Amino acid sequence: MSDETKSCPTPSNAEPTATRSTVPMWVFSLTLVLLFLGFVYFDHHGGWFDERVYGPYASADQLDSYQPKSGAAAAIARGRKIYESNCGTCHGADGLGKPNQAPPLAGSEWVKAKGVQRLTHIPLMGIAGSITVESQTWNLQMAAMGAALPDADLAAVLTYIRSSWGNGMGEVTADDVKAARAAIGANPHPMSGDEMMKMPE
Amino acid sequence: MNDLSQQKIDASCRVPLLALFGGAALWLVVGLALSIIASLTFHAPQMFACCSLLTYGHAQAAANDAILYGFCIPAALGVMLWIFARLSQAELVLPLVPVVAAHIWHVGVLVGIVAILIGDSTGFAWLEFPRSSSVLLFAAFLLIAVSAVATFGQRKERELYPSHWFLLAALLWFPWIYSTANLLIASGHPVRGVTQAVIGWWFADNLVFVWLALVGLGVAFYFLPKLAGKPLQSNHFALFAFWTLILFGTWCGIPQGAPVPAWLPALSTVASSLLIVPLIAIAVIVVKTVCGADVHCKGGPFCYIKFGSAAFLLSGLMLIASACPHFSRIVQFTWFGPAQEQLQILGFFAIIICGAVYELLPRIMDFELPFPKFVRFQHWCFMLGIVLLAGSLAIGGIEQGLKNYDLATTLPFLRASTTGLLFLLLGSLLFAANIFVMTLKWKLALIKSVIAAVTAPLEVSEVKP
Amino acid sequence: MKNGISVFIAAFIALGASWCGFVLAPALQLGTAKQTAVLNSGDTYPVQRTGDATLGLQVYRANGCAACHTEQIQQTGIAFEVVLTGAGKNPDAVSNLISTLKLTGLTKEEADSANDKITAVGGKVETHLIPTGADISRGWGVRRSVAADYLYDSPVQLGSLRAGPDLADAGTRLNNASWHLLHLYAPQSVVKNSAMPPFRFLFETRKIGDAPSPDALNLPSEFAPPAGYEIVPKPEAKQLVAYLLSLHADVPLYEAPYTPVQISTNAPAK
Repeated sequence: MSDETKSCPTPSNAEPTATRSTVPMWVFSLTLVLLFLGFVYFDHHGGWFDERVYGPYASADQLDSYQPKSGAAAAIARGRKIYESNCGTCHGADGLGKPNQAPPLAGSEWVKAKGVQRLTHIPLMGIAGSITVESQTWNLQMAAMGAALPDADLAAVLTYIRSSWGNGMGEVTADDVKAARAAIGANPHPMSGDEMMKMPE
Repeated sequence: MNDLSQQKIDASCRVPLLALFGGAALWLVVGLALSIIASLTFHAPQMFACCSLLTYGHAQAAANDAILYGFCIPAALGVMLWIFARLSQAELVLPLVPVVAAHIWHVGVLVGIVAILIGDSTGFAWLEFPRSSSVLLFAAFLLIAVSAVATFGQRKERELYPSHWFLLAALLWFPWIYSTANLLIASGHPVRGVTQAVIGWWFADNLVFVWLALVGLGVAFYFLPKLAGKPLQSNHFALFAFWTLILFGTWCGIPQGAPVPAWLPALSTVASSLLIVPLIAIAVIVVKTVCGADVHCKGGPFCYIKFGSAAFLLSGLMLIASACPHFSRIVQFTWFGPAQEQLQILGFFAIIICGAVYELLPRIMDFELPFPKFVRFQHWCFMLGIVLLAGSLAIGGIEQGLKNYDLATTLPFLRASTTGLLFLLLGSLLFAANIFVMTLKWKLALIKSVIAAVTAPLEVSEVKP
Repeated sequence: MKNGISVFIAAFIALGASWCGFVLAPALQLGTAKQTAVLNSGDTYPVQRTGDATLGLQVYRANGCAACHTEQIQQTGIAFEVVLTGAGKNPDAVSNLISTLKLTGLTKEEADSANDKITAVGGKVETHLIPTGADISRGWGVRRSVAADYLYDSPVQLGSLRAGPDLADAGTRLNNASWHLLHLYAPQSVVKNSAMPPFRFLFETRKIGDAPSPDALNLPSEFAPPAGYEIVPKPEAKQLVAYLLSLHADVPLYEAPYTPVQISTNAPAK
């Protein structure tokens, strides 16, 4: 044995043994209490094994009820995509327009008007003749770029245009687009700025 | 059982255990040195900036794996073989198998460490060794397990002692978790997406917490009664601790707030809170077994094992705390996690295994330790080192969490932890010195006896007339 | 226990149970996941990385970046905000009501009741959902990370320590390739007192040829190479930067819903 262990009573070479005293009852009770509390915790925080429930959502029902409804904010995301593929080439991804191609949409009084009737008519009918946008006259032609889009999609694009680039206006609903389509009827024709001013806002 | 048969039992373990412990001691030194290099990166980021080998991402991973796979597991298996031989009161069965396996193991670790340093790591914590290395480790472990189970099967006393349960469970645990992790996440066709992380957490918890706990407690429950001269208190309580540890401990891996469905971290939180039960049971067993023992082993193996048991309880409490949602919001992703892991690996496991090795080494070699004073010196180095390392990282982690992950506020704590690592390195050098000199002395004695046998004058009867 | 077999069975049951719970069940539930739909949009998520970004993930793994950086954003709460989108027919009544109501930091019930009150006087409102949490307030992301974010990652590098900031949304927050290259070569040149080690071995110092390389880094004087030399990123550095720029977590999903901030900086008129 080493010097250090010589100072201890030499451990017997016999193998260790264990006593047979019983486990006190309180240990089992503690385990059961903790198991119960654990079950309660899992019930509140476990989402019952649902793969879509992540903390802090407590259940699939809560997650479902908290989903943001397809409101303006959701429409904007959609509208942005459609804008970039349909309108952005001429009006610019930044809404500033391009000279000799398309007037700006950022700050445009047609976009920022309180009512949406005139705005909804533009993509559904197109523009021919002159139109004044932000004190500049534009004498170009616009096809009815939105005529082929479904109501909800066109509403999303217009909502996006109305809320982006500092315009800060509210949404255009699918109902607005539907009403405009109904008002246009079977023969849409491109209008000039003056003709559109005769429409109610 | 007379002394001679005890000697034979001990002697049968000599070669395999020296093969395991020799490499293990070397890996402990290497691992702690790499830890120091990694930790220095925070004080002086420019220090190892030139070479890609020693960048923090490589050095820290290599250090962790060198200590766990290089030191902890082989040393654990060596002590386990001896305990099985002693409890069975039979010589080690198939003694050559662990010798071969030990060499395969250490080669595997070398391949793995080099792979990590050159960048060929798998990217999963505690599983960084590439396939070339993990196959070697798996094979070596199975070989040693065969010898261990065969020795266990030779036992004359059929009733099992508590250490048997813990150590046998460990022999099943490691191959299962290691093969699962290597096949499902560190492979050419891993599972998809975040499932990899879930299995990675399951593996890390089962290896670093549960496996080390099983072996460490199995070793502690063997040596504490032996060194205290009292029986273990008690068999039933140890059975209760065993069952609750393996039932609850294995579910503790998933961290709070992880990007996985809520049921996974919820289950882990519940399991972690239930972990208090086996901790209480183990605390009661250790305290009742140790208290009242009329033993004053200054800095000897008994002190090692007592300190290690206390460190286990503290590490378990830290694990439970870091699973509580409110506390984890502060300490998650801070140094608190590494503090708990280092406390578990170095503070609990390494110290218990070193104590066990110091206790059994003179017996299997049949001569005294070459540097007996080192035992006490190492004990103080390790105690101080662990307190500095784990303590400062834990407090630094809480501070880091409260201050918005601002690393600058934790620099003084990191400096303290580096100092702790230096003490641990010193202790590991003392350990390695004892083992190497002992191996050298034994080899020299072997050579001397061979030379003596060869050059001895012939007996008259041997010469043909 | 009486014999080795019963110990084996006990360990088998315990480990088998957790294997079923944490290996088998997640593999069945998450391991078979496919792309998911972005909330209120036709897009699918996530988009698979291509080219340099895919190789960059392996550079990230090989250099052990996950040892200091995490790639997961956490969320601890859900807050609601009620926003007026139209004044309706009684703008005065609506603005009087608005001034008495709390409109931000609401719970669902409070938001619904505010919604009802305003609609009753003719105003048009929207309820916005905003995830809250320390990571989100730090600007490290806009929503929590979920399984869908890592669908195509192999290996998933979630990380477990934040010695540096979280990177889940790094491509959105730090989307400048030259900043990343400078940061990798000399972190202290772009982040004061950074503890990140310089990754100079990802770059090459070479003599300036006939003309300076277009890839050469534009370093401040204390970190610049000696005169006549330039620092050029190796392919690994470019791949790593491509990977970092590909890290986004800014799309609302069913599991992690939120109301995206509008493109304009002005909120609709209140």
